[in-house]
Amino acid sequence: MMEGPHRAGQAKPMIPPFSPVLLLGLALRPVRPALLQPVFDHMLKVVRSQHPDILERLEAYGERSVCIDPIDLPFALILEPDPVQPRLTVRRFVDADEVHATIRGPLETLIALAEGRMDGDALFFSRQLVVEGDTEVVVALRNAIDGAGIDLVADLTAALGPLAQPARRAAGAVLDLVSSLRGSVETVRQSFIAPALQGAASRDARLAELEAEIKALRKASRRGGPA
Amino acid sequence: MIRPELICPAGTPAALKSAVDAGADCVYVGFRDETNARNFPGLNFSRKELEEGIAYAHARGAKVLVAINTFPRAGHPQMWQSAVDDSARLGADAVILADIGLIDYAARTHPDLRLHLSVQAAASNPQAIGFYAERFGVKRVVLPRVLTVPEIAAINQAVAPVETEVFVFGGLCVMAEGRCALSSYATGQSPNMNGVCSPASHVRYVEAGGGITSQLAGFTINQFGLNEPAGYPTLCKGRFNANGKTSYLFEEPTSLNTLAMLPDLIKAGVAAFKIEGRQRGRAYVAAVVQAFRQGVDAVLEGRPLPDINLDSITEGGRQTTGAYEKAWR
Ligand code: SF4
Repeated sequence: MMEGPHRAGQAKPMIPPFSPVLLLGLALRPVRPALLQPVFDHMLKVVRSQHPDILERLEAYGERSVCIDPIDLPFALILEPDPVQPRLTVRRFVDADEVHATIRGPLETLIALAEGRMDGDALFFSRQLVVEGDTEVVVALRNAIDGAGIDLVADLTAALGPLAQPARRAAGAVLDLVSSLRGSVETVRQSFIAPALQGAASRDARLAELEAEIKALRKASRRGGPA
Repeated sequence: MIRPELICPAGTPAALKSAVDAGADCVYVGFRDETNARNFPGLNFSRKELEEGIAYAHARGAKVLVAINTFPRAGHPQMWQSAVDDSARLGADAVILADIGLIDYAARTHPDLRLHLSVQAAASNPQAIGFYAERFGVKRVVLPRVLTVPEIAAINQAVAPVETEVFVFGGLCVMAEGRCALSSYATGQSPNMNGVCSPASHVRYVEAGGGITSQLAGFTINQFGLNEPAGYPTLCKGRFNANGKTSYLFEEPTSLNTLAMLPDLIKAGVAAFKIEGRQRGRAYVAAVVQAFRQGVDAVLEGRPLPDINLDSITEGGRQTTGAYEKAWR
């Protein structure tokens, strides 16, 4: 059991991967969540109109709230899937006992899950995704979203009419930038951890030597030689 | 050589499209109720979605099979019967049934509807299969995952022209299907009656110090260390203390993968290969269907099997060939 209720948005219990999103998260730290709220209001409105089947599948769970906690961002979201008045609220902190369930993972993983590019069970098996609380509503949400065939960029730009195509191109350019940044971020990560890796490698080598010595000594002592 | 059909799972209309687009010959689905063995929250098809799904599949040369493979509640067969009626009305290519009473109903009411016997019926010998075929005109039997390849080949010889279908990938029931009471014992709900083993409503995951404990109906059934691959919270995959040791008593978290055995299974005369996983997402469906499409096509065209790594989508990050090789005998 987690020691005390976990507050999503703060002191994340999973270690976030070093990624462009983590850097973005650091940059967003000073931003008040209220300033981001209109973005999520718009996102919910668009997804709702493009994929009405999501809320239909969640009908039986409308009163159960789910915290979606991207571990690399300094805030979390609360989804209330009420079929008539759904809400997606951005918050700096969410106490575990405020919601029925929590899904936690790196932002890129959560987006891939939402877009059906990654399988939820596989992410859970490989421990890239953490689920807490009411498992039933999480499974329902996962199935409803996977079944909807969401494409966030296409969905969010669709409402722009003639501007949809340029907006999609711009979004594509941003995603390309993020993926090229990922390479640079990986280089930075490697150089950060290089000394630690070298240390670990030499400790591994020393451990292997010691193991071999112990084996040799055991063999010798079994033969009655010098212990 | 028989060209086996690839039977692929879909829990949602989007997964059905993924399966068809990835090369499925048939997609199997269930209604959004307890008439099928994947009655999971937020999953499955409404009547309208099934109609649209059938249209999508048929337009691309694929078939749709409807699993109505739980056992009707005593005295209340209506929900199951209307699932059969609606499948016939909407143009399903076959229904997959387990209950003998429901099979009788389907055979009498819809004589033109193709009947498949579900794995839940656990028919595993020529006599049982022969009975369903002679009595009700069942055309295909899904074999329980307890037989070796030579046993399957012998059954095929004995039951022809009745077709057999075998599982080639996915989650495994270690018990002869349809005969497991573990979930029912712990939660009061079972795959046979309610369409769900270890229902999500009874599952809790508790995180502590990087590790995770899975609980089913208040029983602790497993603990996974930091970064240790996890599995489904079913009792058969629980780690229990017995004789002073903590271990998997029934089965370790693992997925069936017979990609490398496809030539043997084709030689054994199997008519259809089934991929488990209606509860899985579109990414799983697309990846596994593509892999097995390539595998089956390669064998039929005399090419070497493709080397496709499906580790990342398996339960517990591990794979087994299960009873097909029965290495433990
Ligand atoms: S407990 Fe295991 S063997 Fe029994 S029905 Fe569930 S998955 Fe199958």
